[in-house]
Amino acid sequence: MKNELNIRCIMSKDSLPVTDGEQAVYALVDIKAGTGTTPATMPANIALVLDRSGSMDGEKMNNLKEAVGYVVDHLGDNDLVSITIFDDQVETLVPSRPAKNRDEIKAGLASVIVRGGTQISDGLSAGLAEVKKGISRDRVNRIVLLTDGQTWDDEDACLKLADEAGRLGVAITSIGIGEEWNEKLLLQIAERSRGNSHWIQNPIAILDAFRQEMEGMQSVAVTNVTMTGRMSPGVRPVKVFTTVPMIADVSARTVSGSMLQADLGSLDGRKGQAVLIEARVPAHKAGAYRVGQVEIRYDLPSGGLSGRSVKADLNITFIADAAGAAKVNAEVMNLVEKVTAFKLQTQALTEADAGNIVAATRKFQAAATVLLDLGEDELADAVKSEIAALKRTGSLTAAGTKKLEYGTRKLTQVMTEAMKR
Amino acid sequence: MKCSECQMENIEGALFCEECGAKLETMNELQGAAMESPAGRLLLASPDGSTLEIPAKDDVVVGREDPISEVFPDLDLTGFGGMEKGVSRKHAVIHRSGADYTVEDMTSTNGTYVNRKKVQPNTPQAIKPGDELRFGKLAFSLKAA
Repeated sequence: MKNELNIRCIMSKDSLPVTDGEQAVYALVDIKAGTGTTPATMPANIALVLDRSGSMDGEKMNNLKEAVGYVVDHLGDNDLVSITIFDDQVETLVPSRPAKNRDEIKAGLASVIVRGGTQISDGLSAGLAEVKKGISRDRVNRIVLLTDGQTWDDEDACLKLADEAGRLGVAITSIGIGEEWNEKLLLQIAERSRGNSHWIQNPIAILDAFRQEMEGMQSVAVTNVTMTGRMSPGVRPVKVFTTVPMIADVSARTVSGSMLQADLGSLDGRKGQAVLIEARVPAHKAGAYRVGQVEIRYDLPSGGLSGRSVKADLNITFIADAAGAAKVNAEVMNLVEKVTAFKLQTQALTEADAGNIVAATRKFQAAATVLLDLGEDELADAVKSEIAALKRTGSLTAAGTKKLEYGTRKLTQVMTEAMKR
Repeated sequence: MKCSECQMENIEGALFCEECGAKLETMNELQGAAMESPAGRLLLASPDGSTLEIPAKDDVVVGREDPISEVFPDLDLTGFGGMEKGVSRKHAVIHRSGADYTVEDMTSTNGTYVNRKKVQPNTPQAIKPGDELRFGKLAFSLKAA
């Protein structure tokens, strides 16, 4: 049992001074697969949903075919795979089947000819239908969606499908190539289904994204992970962020009064998950104080175990001598700083979308300062470029917006060189 | 707790200003570190409060230990997350001349910064207690020992 999951609860400060009013505390709940788990034994159930619209012609399609070949070659005989292609029409080239006869599966994509526009929801719907055929709690159920274009007025349908996929435990990894696609939509599809999202500037990086996806899938050992937080009387949770595979503000769907209920999906065996909780604690007399308790529930399919549970307390000490209050924990500080950069960037983009250039510029400048402090000079430069574009033209650039949306969300991740290009 | 950058009032215990993102908590620590004591030895202080004393040598190589390449810097930053934060094996050298100190970047991959300004490679730059030194993405404040 103790080797199944490793949970660490780290408070921003071990001790707080006694005061008359509420104080802010941050708790980092770090969840990692334990040494008793055995990754790479869970079979996959994957649907590839691929854009074949006219703009995918040439290098993009060639690289995509190579990347699909890589995925098929690296699946096991017990894994299930399907390939769906879409433009403004949809076609399932390979219905869900075991990943045997790999050459036959790859041949399905070889003859694809690019054509037409982009209607993502039809492709997503067909891909989800294929995953459903083999859906099982004992498999890693996933859709990889790749597109290079704006979808045609079906964003709501896409989001409903992402919600459905999330409920079924099917994470969607959305991948956008180039600059002419809707990053907000692809990010929401990923976030709502507890999946990941990538922005690829250069088609050569398609293979890298698919490879990352395969490695992530094959390292999953713990599934259906949920976190329930029960706060002590008077403690108010105000914000909750998940940070793997991207920073996401999950407060709206997680916080209810003094309770937290977060669906964390599958646990990437290499990265785990780190949840940041920001709460307000009421005034309290000197002494030990329990802020709350978190309970992590999970399944361990390789061991045939489900409904496992582990609990951990969030503790601090109130001390009368303010000068003796503990220093800030560096790990929590670093994570809160990254989340702050993400929040400022998000606020700046919202202001820019609303045409509030002065407010957007102010938030961007604040974001740039935090990013510099984090050592993210390249991202800070991108923010400065967008400030200049905003002043010059009154709007942001497509590439700059994507760089900021993805860059600040992935501050907690190490990106490969190919995917940065 | 008032933000010294934008004057916004933040709740006690907040780490960063809700309005402008400025650090609220470490301001005091950095101010406390800015004690002038040039004649003494120096420490690298990380934000979590742990410190690393700069050895009493005229030239102290800062970097990341790598036994395979047989690189053993005088100040090994591996334990501070040097690998993840882009510290090179031989990243920079801190020179001491009497009571004066300089830092020189050894053409590291991710650069050396003093008070957020990048140091030109192979060009010594004066440093003093209170300065922020950053190797790649790993930041320290320089304190008098």
